[in-house]
Amino acid sequence: MDGKTEHILVVDDEWESPIVGAVIRTLEQEGWKTSVIKPQLSADIGHDFEAETLYSIETIRPSGILLDVRLGEYREDQFKGLEILHKIVELYPTMPVLMFTQYTQGPERDTAVRSSLQLDSTVDFIDKLASPQEVILRLRRLIGRPPAYIVMGEKLILDVDASLVQIKQGEDLETVSDIQGMKFEILRELASTWYRSPGQLVPFSKLERYSDGEEARASLRVRIREIKNSLGNALGVKFGAGDFIINVRDQGYRLVPPKTFNNQ
Amino acid sequence: MRVSDNLWAVEPVSYVATVIIISGLVIITMTYVVSGLLRRSPSPYNSGDELLSTWASLTQQYFELFQHDLGRPLRRILGKEREVRATIDLSNQALYGDVVELLDEIEGQAPNFRLMMSNVQVLIEMETPSEDLVLEPVEPLEIVRRIVDRYTFAAADGKKEITWWSDPDDFGIVYCGASAIEHIITNVVDNAVRFADKRIEIKLVREGTEFSIHVWDDGFGIPEEYRSHIFDRGWTPELAKREERTTSGLGMFIAKTLSQRYGGDLCIQSLVGDTAKHYTEFTLTLPIKEYVS
Repeated sequence: MDGKTEHILVVDDEWESPIVGAVIRTLEQEGWKTSVIKPQLSADIGHDFEAETLYSIETIRPSGILLDVRLGEYREDQFKGLEILHKIVELYPTMPVLMFTQYTQGPERDTAVRSSLQLDSTVDFIDKLASPQEVILRLRRLIGRPPAYIVMGEKLILDVDASLVQIKQGEDLETVSDIQGMKFEILRELASTWYRSPGQLVPFSKLERYSDGEEARASLRVRIREIKNSLGNALGVKFGAGDFIINVRDQGYRLVPPKTFNNQ
Repeated sequence: MRVSDNLWAVEPVSYVATVIIISGLVIITMTYVVSGLLRRSPSPYNSGDELLSTWASLTQQYFELFQHDLGRPLRRILGKEREVRATIDLSNQALYGDVVELLDEIEGQAPNFRLMMSNVQVLIEMETPSEDLVLEPVEPLEIVRRIVDRYTFAAADGKKEITWWSDPDDFGIVYCGASAIEHIITNVVDNAVRFADKRIEIKLVREGTEFSIHVWDDGFGIPEEYRSHIFDRGWTPELAKREERTTSGLGMFIAKTLSQRYGGDLCIQSLVGDTAKHYTEFTLTLPIKEYVS
């Protein structure tokens, strides 16, 4: 199922620490592959990290890199990660890199904020105390590729490439046949937004192109009701107005996060 | 014979020696005065501003130098917490109910600690006599997106949801301070997530010469007598109720001060009561400044 498995290169001198371990574990739970740079300990640890990182990028061609700003305990290694970043950007300008920073303010933090302003930037900075789920979200956006599959909750799978909605039934996948065409497109738009940025509303202006007739909004409302009914029937639940796909303040719709959805 | 006639009789070399001695004394005096002035000028004790500036700059340097070490204990605690969380069956309430509560508390306190530390740093910056503000291109939509990323999972743990949108959809760039906007909105969203009942909504609006970011929550609301204090330095609702403080009371003070520094404002609206309509909404309004190269 994971024909497009992302491969993340982790460059952090604290790779054995529980905090980095939690991130690596979550990346792997997401279905991504990870490779961790583990240089032999020497007097010049910063240089060793740089050499091994550049070699690994060349050999494994990762989808993205998680890179710590500070590599080693010496003062000269305090910003070694930024030096490596400059070399990566020079050699591989489109390589997505997520930099691990500390939590405080100051020049490093300011650089972090400024450098991650643009949506299409391939370099972003994240606080090292961020939750692993936050790291995943940032990497998803940095990598930018639309996923082949979007898994919503425990049972619902959107097969983007095949334009199918499937339900997990034990080991089997069952296709929900009546979600096709415009209805599939509406669901894909909502699911893709949720996948990249949970909580973000999809405005009517984006969704109304998947409806027809003079009353575009009314037509959209009907289609969304049909999607909820079809999936509700397939899952054996009844979706109310505040479940699964929600109309927010008459501005647009959003998908309810799967955690809540699991509790239906 | 007059006395002056006798003086002119003195050896001419005596006059030259007198001139040299007087010149030497003048040079020594001048050197002493100038060196004294030079010694005094960099002193931090000349004025209150200089003293504060030196103190603030020194404190910032210490923060930057030790920030990695300051974060170490929390990184270790959080790492261990996440390790334990990964190994136990979270759904087994009977066996792990209290453990899960402890893990949630640790995870929940992490953003609180992070925000408190950065609030202290911003406060030091704010109290330092500063130069003119530097405006830079900022994409507020991306700042809000990242703040929502940070709080979505913490909110979900408390069975709360954050929804956000922008009007227009493509918000574009404004010239402002990226760190300032991020800091203001982080404090306001942190507050909303803390006090919301179930829902938090964030809306960005760009209109004419200004833009605004609205942070709304469906919490019980803030009574009128508290609203006038909410932006006071060090004030927290617990202070008024004589309860244990859960925050430093710096966040809203900093948020308001920063917004005014950038030519805008942070305002509050709230409806209190048992009615289902109770809410609190903070609105940050900032001017859309033209870029000056």
